[in-house]
Amino acid sequence: MQPVEGRIRLSAFVFIAAELGLLLLTLRQFQIESSALLRLSMLAFAGFAVHAFLPMRYRLPFFTVLSLAGILLVFGFAQGAWLIALGLVLIAICHLPIAFGARVLVLLGVGLVLAAQRANWLPAPWSLAVWPILGSMFMFRLIAYLYDLKHEKPEFSPWRVGSYFFLLPNVCFPLFPVVDYKNFRRSHYAADAYTTYQTGVDWMARGVLHLILYRVVYYYFTVPATEVKGPGDLAQFIVANFLLYLRVSGQFHFIIGLLCLFGFRLPETHHLYYLASSFTDFWRRINIYWKEFMQKIFYYPAFFRLKGWGTTGALVASTIFVFAATWLLHAYQWFWLRGSFLLTLPDASFWAILAVLVVINSLWEIRHGRQRRLKPAAPTAAGAVWLGVRTAGTFAAIALLWSLWTAESLAGWWGLMSEAVRPVALPASLVPTIMVAALAVATTPGGVAKVGAQRRGFSLGGRSTVIAVATLLLMALAGLPAVYTRLGTGVANFILSLRTGQLNRVDQAMMERGYYEDLVRVDRFNSQLWELYMNRPAVGWLDVQGSGLARFTGDFIQEELRPGFRSTTTFGAITTNRWGMRDRDYEQRPAPGTYRIALLGASSVMGWGVGDEETFEALLEAQLNAGRPGRHERYEILNLAVPGYQPPQQRVALDKALQFEPRAVYYVATGREASRSVDYLAEIVRKRIAIPYPVLADVTRRAGIAPTTEHSTAVRRLRPFRNEVLAWVYGDIAARCRERGVLPVLIFLPQLRGGEWEVETPDILKAARDAGFIVLDISDVYRGHDPTTLRLAEWDEHPNAAGHRLIAKRLHDSISSRTGELFADAGNSRPAR
Amino acid sequence: MDHIEESVKAYILKEFLPGEDPAELTDGTPLVTGGILDSLATLKLVSFLEEQYGIAVQAHEADVEHLDTIRDIAALVRSKL
Repeated sequence: MQPVEGRIRLSAFVFIAAELGLLLLTLRQFQIESSALLRLSMLAFAGFAVHAFLPMRYRLPFFTVLSLAGILLVFGFAQGAWLIALGLVLIAICHLPIAFGARVLVLLGVGLVLAAQRANWLPAPWSLAVWPILGSMFMFRLIAYLYDLKHEKPEFSPWRVGSYFFLLPNVCFPLFPVVDYKNFRRSHYAADAYTTYQTGVDWMARGVLHLILYRVVYYYFTVPATEVKGPGDLAQFIVANFLLYLRVSGQFHFIIGLLCLFGFRLPETHHLYYLASSFTDFWRRINIYWKEFMQKIFYYPAFFRLKGWGTTGALVASTIFVFAATWLLHAYQWFWLRGSFLLTLPDASFWAILAVLVVINSLWEIRHGRQRRLKPAAPTAAGAVWLGVRTAGTFAAIALLWSLWTAESLAGWWGLMSEAVRPVALPASLVPTIMVAALAVATTPGGVAKVGAQRRGFSLGGRSTVIAVATLLLMALAGLPAVYTRLGTGVANFILSLRTGQLNRVDQAMMERGYYEDLVRVDRFNSQLWELYMNRPAVGWLDVQGSGLARFTGDFIQEELRPGFRSTTTFGAITTNRWGMRDRDYEQRPAPGTYRIALLGASSVMGWGVGDEETFEALLEAQLNAGRPGRHERYEILNLAVPGYQPPQQRVALDKALQFEPRAVYYVATGREASRSVDYLAEIVRKRIAIPYPVLADVTRRAGIAPTTEHSTAVRRLRPFRNEVLAWVYGDIAARCRERGVLPVLIFLPQLRGGEWEVETPDILKAARDAGFIVLDISDVYRGHDPTTLRLAEWDEHPNAAGHRLIAKRLHDSISSRTGELFADAGNSRPAR
Repeated sequence: MDHIEESVKAYILKEFLPGEDPAELTDGTPLVTGGILDSLATLKLVSFLEEQYGIAVQAHEADVEHLDTIRDIAALVRSKL
């Protein structure tokens, strides 16, 4: 007996539920995307269990209520209510009893007010986190909805409209496929229920697999532009950069798959896009919803209007119009997601070049036709070779264009491309990169629509069902510690690394820079970094420059802390003394019997995000005075740290420190010292600031950089000198200290999370020892602690007050265990001059 | 098969499916969702319909609802005659 429309048999339901259980386990074990997604998926899968058995008339209302509950679950009641209320206002405007044009004008007016709030020109009472989701729900869907209201005049159904705008998974995904309202209406139980549900599971499984593959590429195969050396690195950079798009295709598969669980048999979002065999083919395969949206709203209307120009003229003009609109709409999308417009030359160049290629390709197709078949043709060797050549050529060309799109500047991209003419040296990781690319291609949804169409009713033996179950089982099992720890250390560590969503080395470095610079290119589609920043409060978060804590000096050091500054932040008071130290007041000369330490470092040492009394410097000073490990009467630690200071700046800071006659200088290094040193030199040269140290000036000359050299090119040229630069900085600091009878000590303070930054640590420690520093390596300070309990926020990995307490204790222990070395001159009370 | 269906089928076979077995193309064969009518082919087909039958097709009608099968296309043409 066949089930009634929209119903499935109990056995089929149990099967789907088991698959969803495996999916949930995978989401949990691999921490896919965010904890919010896990919670939302639990809600959605539980909702599916109810929805699948409801009478048809209750299903849309149920789905709408579930979507609204999802918003409240993720955002909490207050912010969720704001989001829903704003959405309802926008929907209500679409149905005001006034002329269509007037409704559009009202919407534009409200949109302008919201835009002013998004840009922080007007205050908004809701959280910053509401914007990207509100934007994602309404920025394109309102256009599609209005288009249908005008042309199709669909019957108004509050449940249908509510479910369309507040689509359940949207609350977790700011990047969301542009679902067409007409498709949405027509797709609801347009196919057999089991077929739709199972297709949803297939797509979600494939989406999660893409997201795991994305992590493999993101963690292991991306190459920073500054480290590209020669054609091999360049090829890896270009291919890995293109593969990062797996994250978008993974998210979109998951989203549409989840909607299938509620009966929406929507079309696929991507179709073997890495296997496109021409530029028009690529445009048709990647982000299909976007292509359909642009076709419907811009391309066809433009073409029909310009038909009088003749087919060729209308086609060329319409295509160019579509790509220009795409460029502008991406900037518009960026605005709602990030709060600023993204209009850059690489962006414009990418869309312009793609437009030209697609126009040429379209004209060729109009003239020569495109091979279409009703049935798959028997493969021939010659046909396969020709297809392979075209596919490889298209992949290479699009990957190259993609690298232009994501480049910081045209000059930077061009500098990168110049690496193609160096002698070929293939990096060891190029082959694995290509293998991951092949796997990515193999797991894209080939013929999914056809699979869905062919599946009729519940069957355990279907090919795609078997693949989905096998994929789910493999992923769920691989994520279990009991399984992966038995696969050998290498495999276990590899899987363990994939189980968390963290920043890779490139993004980690950008995040370090982000506290002090206006980030203009937190990458738009693939970066995890911008998601962190998206959650950061726009106001109320500590900003060095904005708060007036720092002032510019106009010389090599660029900036310093303003003396006599006081501000109260969310995290406590920030006070600087009359010398511009974040510390209590000290006399310039230490009192007799005082053991004075000058502390050099950057933001973590200054105490970014903690109150004056909570810095590890203040705590350590108190502990030293309580324990008196070197038997001095009094201990003073002068905090000369300044946020953003790089090693070459510390050389200048040393001169200031020595004016206070310390007995020891404690230099705190936090990782990537060598790389950050050459980054800084590149910045100094670009800003035409004189370098007061002949050795460093000579390095910039030998590297061949000038103020006009594009930044990433300059860093790339300076990289071979990075250890030389660090050795000089350390050597000069230690030598100057020794000359003055001051003890040079280097403290290695790790970052909160382990990661790629650790690669440079052995070189840092060696350089410090070679220079004559006494090294206090406290790399293990955070071991055994959950980093999330020790950091300021998800988007700010500076240690919080608990972190500072931990550092102070660890340092005190370390100092106490080495008093002989550190306080060897205890009898010598001569301060440095 | 009516005249419109025949004419549309002949056009599709000639323009987009040369060499294919005519028997394989039925009134219900999915054209848009089946990948036979992409955006370029859709525009060519619309131009043909407008010239052949003296009708005006609107931009919003160039979609899967109206053009997915020969049956849908014929219905669209009839609605405008």
